[in-house]
Amino acid sequence: MFHRPATFAKALAIKADLGGRVTPLAGGTDLIVGLNRGTSLGEEVLDLSGVADYGDIDTENGSLLLRGGVTFARLARLDIRCLADAARSVGGPQIRNRGTIAGNLATASPAGDGSAALLALDAEVEISHATRGARWIKLADYFLEYRKTALGDDELISRIRIPAPDALEATAWYKIGKRGAVNISVVCAAAARWPDGRLCLAFGSVAPVPMRATETERLIGTGPLTEELIHQAAQCAMTEVRPIDDWRASADYRRAMCGVLTRRLLRAVRADSEGKG
Amino acid sequence: MAWHLECTINGSAVERDVPEDVTLLSFLRDHLGLTGTKGACLEGECGSCTVLLDDEPACSCLVLAAQVHGRRVTTVEGLAHGDRLATVQEKFVETGAAQCGYCTPGLLMAAKALLERNPDAGEQELRVALEGNICRCTGYASIVEAVQLAAREGNP
Repeated sequence: MFHRPATFAKALAIKADLGGRVTPLAGGTDLIVGLNRGTSLGEEVLDLSGVADYGDIDTENGSLLLRGGVTFARLARLDIRCLADAARSVGGPQIRNRGTIAGNLATASPAGDGSAALLALDAEVEISHATRGARWIKLADYFLEYRKTALGDDELISRIRIPAPDALEATAWYKIGKRGAVNISVVCAAAARWPDGRLCLAFGSVAPVPMRATETERLIGTGPLTEELIHQAAQCAMTEVRPIDDWRASADYRRAMCGVLTRRLLRAVRADSEGKG
Repeated sequence: MAWHLECTINGSAVERDVPEDVTLLSFLRDHLGLTGTKGACLEGECGSCTVLLDDEPACSCLVLAAQVHGRRVTTVEGLAHGDRLATVQEKFVETGAAQCGYCTPGLLMAAKALLERNPDAGEQELRVALEGNICRCTGYASIVEAVQLAAREGNP
């Protein structure tokens, strides 16, 4: 049966009632590819594209709150550089107009561009249940293993919180792929730096899940980004990632590109921070 | 099971029972006989199935028909007024922006959406607006030229 609730509360009630038997559907840019290849959507489909306010963006105490249905087209117009650049790099306009951030997180592809950018922004995910209410979880704790997440069968992603985007000193995003558009990441990477010097670094397509490079972040610390430190960080990132060979690229190539992208990101962040100083 | 779909297609109200797992592409072509919209890759890479949903380009192969409930759909059949082609179509003819023509309906819809949104779009914005549409006869130069000419004329 096809469910098309007009409110998120109704969607949650359906999800709580039917659990894993109902497939949530938002923009359809992943799920319907499967349908076109002969994979059934299942007996029960929960279409979230009819929930009127699921595409809203709010601010609260300096944080940005994205509802799950915010599209990549909308993200591309945000003032947060790494997220906007990541969003612009997704698919073509047709995909960006439909694909949603909650869909990106729920699908949990290791190559999810939105996921890597949000990881660098230290974002949190709000997971909601009809009766148990909502819980916030760090995005870094949300991805468990390959395409497995902390999202329960009876829950939906309600919102994503980006803490203090206006306070960010600088962010940057780079993606390596086969072409300039409609391009699945061979490696993507994002970095964000706060006024206290704390730097977050995240990668996509180099591990079973989109990942924060926490060892590299520790090495970088909060001090000035010298060329020496940037070089060490690139070496560290290359050992920290866990890429595989597949038809898009070899593990060796991906590992090498993590070094290259780390250098580019940190230099971009340094240039932006200096520009603000 | 069937879904009772109510939507607007090319300005006309449409009310139909549709199978729940039928894509908009299949609904347009196989149920309504609107075969102007083409299907090719069926995975969102080629753009040949592009239609407008409330004025925004979308791949009709990746949308369920049931998902356009209450929305406005515009296909390539909705561009011309009777025998009079839309400006963007005329310019495609003028510059010879088609070879096999299979990508043309999707490109026209992507171009139409851009020109409605921003008639003064520069070449960079125009190329981004068309980046989701692939032409394998490699006619991009004449396609870009056609859209630029249509922009200059106004009223896409």
